[in-house]
Amino acid sequence: MKISELDQIQKMLQGESYISDNAIAMSIFLAMRLEKPLLIEGPAGVGKTEIAKVMAKALEAELIRLQCYEGLDSTHALYEWNYQHQLLYLKMQELKVQDISKLEETIFSEKFLLKRPILDAITRTEKSVLLIDEVDRADEEFESFLLEVLSDWQVTIPEVGTIKARHKPQIILTGNRTRELSEALRRRCLYLWIDYPDFEKELAIVKTKIPEVDQKLGQQICAFMKELRELKLEKTPGISETIDWARALASMHLTHLDKQIVEDTLGVVLKDWKDIRHTQDALSELLEKTGVVSRMG
Amino acid sequence: MHLTPHITHQTELSANIVLLCRFLRSKGFSLTSTEETDALQALTFLPFDKEENFKHALKAILSKTQHQYLVFDDYYDEFWDQLAKAADSKTKDKIVGKDKKSEAQKKAIRFESLKDWLNLSPSEEEKEIAAVSDFESLTRKNFSDLSEEELQLMMRLLQKLARKLAHEKSRLLKTSKKKRSLDLKKTIRANMRKGGQIQHLLFSQKKERKLKLVLLCDVSRSMDLYSRFFIHLIYAFQHAYDKIETFVFSTALHRVSTILDQHEFDKAFDIISERVPQWSGGTTIGSCLSDFTKDFGHGMLDRKTIVMILSDGWDTGEPEVIESAMKTLYKKSKKVIWLNPLAGNENFSPDALGMKTALPYIDILTSAHNLESLKKVMQQLQKRRNFSKEIFIR
Repeated sequence: MKISELDQIQKMLQGESYISDNAIAMSIFLAMRLEKPLLIEGPAGVGKTEIAKVMAKALEAELIRLQCYEGLDSTHALYEWNYQHQLLYLKMQELKVQDISKLEETIFSEKFLLKRPILDAITRTEKSVLLIDEVDRADEEFESFLLEVLSDWQVTIPEVGTIKARHKPQIILTGNRTRELSEALRRRCLYLWIDYPDFEKELAIVKTKIPEVDQKLGQQICAFMKELRELKLEKTPGISETIDWARALASMHLTHLDKQIVEDTLGVVLKDWKDIRHTQDALSELLEKTGVVSRMG
Repeated sequence: MHLTPHITHQTELSANIVLLCRFLRSKGFSLTSTEETDALQALTFLPFDKEENFKHALKAILSKTQHQYLVFDDYYDEFWDQLAKAADSKTKDKIVGKDKKSEAQKKAIRFESLKDWLNLSPSEEEKEIAAVSDFESLTRKNFSDLSEEELQLMMRLLQKLARKLAHEKSRLLKTSKKKRSLDLKKTIRANMRKGGQIQHLLFSQKKERKLKLVLLCDVSRSMDLYSRFFIHLIYAFQHAYDKIETFVFSTALHRVSTILDQHEFDKAFDIISERVPQWSGGTTIGSCLSDFTKDFGHGMLDRKTIVMILSDGWDTGEPEVIESAMKTLYKKSKKVIWLNPLAGNENFSPDALGMKTALPYIDILTSAHNLESLKKVMQQLQKRRNFSKEIFIR
């Protein structure tokens, strides 16, 4: 029974065509069993966000996503009062004689509360998956708002009181390490570091995502990407770039790479003009390392 | 060769997990009872068919940063190896005996270096000392030329300056933040008693952001002339700012914040000189800085933190190491300020390889060889990062 649960997670990931390794499956398993948030860090485009999506699908739970950005505050993440409704209500009550404190109680009740993602997630009647994406982009102050939710599964609203979670949501936090997260936040989470995949894993991903890709082409693409990531680039391409590229090349019914094709399609993989120029300069060498012999000589 | 798969008693395994936590703590992992509890709880439902499972699970629970995540496997293996060795009591005794001996040796080395340090009287280093008594002339005097009394005087001056600047910053912020935003929540509440008619508006004000400082001070041989002064400087800083972390380094990094916090200057100074055993020999700025980013970076660096490095940039390590460390520091901080005493010289150009490599990742490079240039630096602290930069301030 217990063993099958870890197996189930691996199967679930496979079922959603997410190629993982044992470390990833174990982290997800523990996060679910220990009911703890999972903090996932790693370079861009290695499938951090994807994990939350896959989990939501497999658990048949709703995915609630909170995209973090600089300046994100509690009114966008937790809750906000619906001011328009409050004002309208006050207007409507103008002519009726009413106790002020009662009126105040009414307009600061749940009826006038706008639920933002975090409050939304903990007040759902069913279990949900809450994805707090790129948490390192938000300010440090925002982290402190999160702490209460992450450890006690509750949100305190001064006017209403403490709202406890009906169902503990499965929380996934992701980060690109643009800023270091506080120790307090880390302490409340399990940790998973996902790096760029090795050749075999990436090839497996490409094959799963794009079954129609030619065997040799797939291998060449993954080998090329591996070498490409060794270059010092401004924006190192992730798995999503590999998939885009493989899909593009497969749709052209190609069976192998050559210099011309790589040059023409480099824009799918690299998104920075300096990187493209840099790569073009090193292309012959790259292709040689990858084992692609240039057609152009 | 690991013990895990054939451990039969649950209790033994639990005890080993507690030991592992203790071991990891000594390696810089910050583990509390929560992690221990989680790990022990995980044991109750973990599938034991593969030993790998056990390792992955502990890794997910016990590591909290990328660095910890990546070194976990090594420490994990090391722990079980040590445990296996310790099981043989004879070996255990041997290890303990060895440790004791090396501890004594270490002490002797430390004592030697302390003696060396104390013997370095300022008179040896001083070139020409003009009798300077008033503050005015002190401000332009090169720090390395100061006598003991002048140093005392300078200290008082410095503390005053540091305190003044720490206060100035809060006043500056208040008047410059003129943009205000409407606080609807408060406005509605305040106007309720007027039947919901909005008569006056309330605004929310930006909170004052406190400045955080991280000081990294080079105390190697080549900095001898200046390090004495710099420790004074750090001491003054430490007592003027709330959030400040201080490190000294030569061939290794030492955190000295608490020492400076808890002791009077002379006592603090003695303790620090004892802690930093190698005064001679080359500096490895790169590896020290990279140690800082790995071990302390995640708790101490953010966009409100100013990193101040006091060093002459003579690095004996590989330039790649210093480059990647500086890159991290630059990326994760508000500003990087490099104080290089050599820069006070008219003909100075950043030629030392370490200095040259670090240059692209420095916001302000300055000499700080006298009080005046130091004042200029301190005025820069609160300002935003300037990208079209003129980094060298004389």
